[in-house]
Amino acid sequence: MDSKVEATYNRALSAMALVGFISFLLLSIYRKPLSPVPFYGAVTFLSIVFIGYFFTGWIFPSSDKFLFILAGFLVELGLIMLCRINIELFKRQVAFFALGVGFFILSSILTRYFVRLELNPVYLWGITTALLLLPLLFGVEKGGARNWLAFGGFTFQPSELAKITFVFYLAGVVKQNKINHFPRLAAEILAAVGLLVLSRDLGGAMLFYLTALAVIFAATSRLDVTAAGLFAAGIMGVLSYNLFDHVRVRIEAWLNPWQDVPGRGYQIAQSLFAIAEGGYFGTGLGLGRPDFIPAVATDFIFSAFTEEFGFLGAAAVILMYFLLVYRGIRIALRLKDSYPALIALGHTVMFGMQIFTIIGGVIKLIPVTGVTLPFMSYGGSSMVMSFTSLGILNGLWLQAREGETDGETA
Amino acid sequence: MYELLAQILKFLLIGLIYYFLYNFLKLMVLDLSEEKNTSGDTGYYLRSDDGREYPLRPVTTIGRAGDSDIVINDPYLSSKHAMIFKKGRRMVIQDLKSTNGTFLNGKRIKRAVALREKDVITMGGRNFTFLRREARGLESGSDL
Repeated sequence: MDSKVEATYNRALSAMALVGFISFLLLSIYRKPLSPVPFYGAVTFLSIVFIGYFFTGWIFPSSDKFLFILAGFLVELGLIMLCRINIELFKRQVAFFALGVGFFILSSILTRYFVRLELNPVYLWGITTALLLLPLLFGVEKGGARNWLAFGGFTFQPSELAKITFVFYLAGVVKQNKINHFPRLAAEILAAVGLLVLSRDLGGAMLFYLTALAVIFAATSRLDVTAAGLFAAGIMGVLSYNLFDHVRVRIEAWLNPWQDVPGRGYQIAQSLFAIAEGGYFGTGLGLGRPDFIPAVATDFIFSAFTEEFGFLGAAAVILMYFLLVYRGIRIALRLKDSYPALIALGHTVMFGMQIFTIIGGVIKLIPVTGVTLPFMSYGGSSMVMSFTSLGILNGLWLQAREGETDGETA
Repeated sequence: MYELLAQILKFLLIGLIYYFLYNFLKLMVLDLSEEKNTSGDTGYYLRSDDGREYPLRPVTTIGRAGDSDIVINDPYLSSKHAMIFKKGRRMVIQDLKSTNGTFLNGKRIKRAVALREKDVITMGGRNFTFLRREARGLESGSDL
C-alpha cells in the first residue's frame, strides 16, 4: 500500500486510541468509588481493534482498512456512551464487539472466495422469509415489536440476519439487469415486508422495502418502476396510519410532541431536550442527563451522544457514517460484474437507510421507528450483523482488487 | 473537580474526533484524485519497432478499424485487436478475441493481464514496448 495512505491510517488510529484512553480514564473516576472497569474495557477494546486491524492486514494485504477503522471508531464512541449509561451493558457490548470482529474476518474470507457461487435466489428468499417468520411463531416481544428469538438466556434478532440474505436475494434476482417476472418479484418482496409489518417492526419493513427499490433501480435504471414503488410506499404509509394504532401514535408524536409530553411525546421530547442541552460543544462527558431518555442505550444513543459531545460531535458522527456509505458505493463502482456490485450496493443502501431512519427519528426529522444505529447502539445481533455486512463489503473489495491484478504472475 | 476536568477534556475530545475525521476526509480526497487521474493522459505510452510513440489513454483500443484509438495498418491485425485500459493504478491489456492473438513477452494472453514497464506486446508482426513517460515527475510509481 501507498506509504502516504498508511501514514494517514496510523494517524487516525492514534487519534482513536487517544480518544479511548482519555474518555475511559475520565469515566473511571466518574463513579464513586473509583472503578477501573472502564479502563480495562478500553484496553480490551483497543486490543481487539489492533488485533483485528493487523490480522486482516496480514491475511489480506489489500484489505479495506478504511471501513474497519471507521467502524471501530464509531463503536468506540458508542462504547463511551454505554459505559457512562450502564456499565453492565458496556461489558457485554465489548464482548459483542469481539464477536463482531471475528465475524468481520470470517465473512471477508467467505465473500472473497465464495461469492462466485451464486445460490439460487429462490433459496435465499426462502431463508429470508423463514428468518422473518420464526419470531412470529416462537418469538418474544420486546419494546412493542415481536422480532426476537430466545434460546435460554440468549436472545437473537433474526431480522438482522435476514437483512443480509435479503440483499443477496435481491442481487441474485435482478443481476441480469432486467426483471423477468415482475409480478412474482413484487409478490416475493412484499411477502418479506409483510412479515416484518406483522411482527410490528415497521422501521425494518421500511428498510427492506426501500433497499429493494434502490437495488432494482440500480440494476434496471427504470424510473417508472421506482416511481410506482415510491407511490405504493406512500399508499402503504397512509394505510398503516389508518390501520395500526402504534403507527398513528408515532406519527402524532412526530407532528406535535409537545401536545402530550408525559405520554405519547415523551421519548421524542426528552430526546429533543437532551440535544438542545448539548449546545455546540456538549455538556462534557458524564455531565448530561441521559437517564431521562427512554431506550437510551439502543435507539436513542445518538441523542445521549449529542448531549454530551454537542452539535460538533454529532455532526462528526454523521460525517463518519457518510464516509462509510461513500466507501461502500466506491466498492460497488469498482466491481465489474453486476452481481457482486449489486450486493455491495444493497448492503450500503441498507446501512445508509438505517442510519438515516434512526438519526432522522431521534432529531424529529421523520417519525421515530425502532431500528438500531449500526455500530453505536447496544445490541448483540445488530453489532455482529453490521460487522458481517462490513466483512462482505470488504470481501467484495478484495475481489475487485483481485480483478485488477489478474495475471500478474502469469 | 470531575466537572472541571470533564469540561476541559470535552474540547480535547472534540478536537481529536475532528482530527480523526480530517484524516479520513483526506483519504477520501486521495481516492477521488486517483479516480480523476484515470481521465485524461495516463503517463504511459507504447513505442513501436519503428520508433513511433503512441500515448495511452485510460481506455485505448488498438486495431485496423478507423475508429480505434491506435490505428495500425497491418493485414495480420484484427479490426479490433486489443485494448489497454487503466484499472486502479495499473494498466491492463486485454485481447479482443483477435484472430492472430496478442502476445505479451512472447506468451499469448487469454485474460486481462496487468502490464509492467518495458513489457513487449506483439500484435500481428509488430512489437510494441510499454513505457512510462519519464519527463513527468510522478511521485508514486514504486509499485509498478
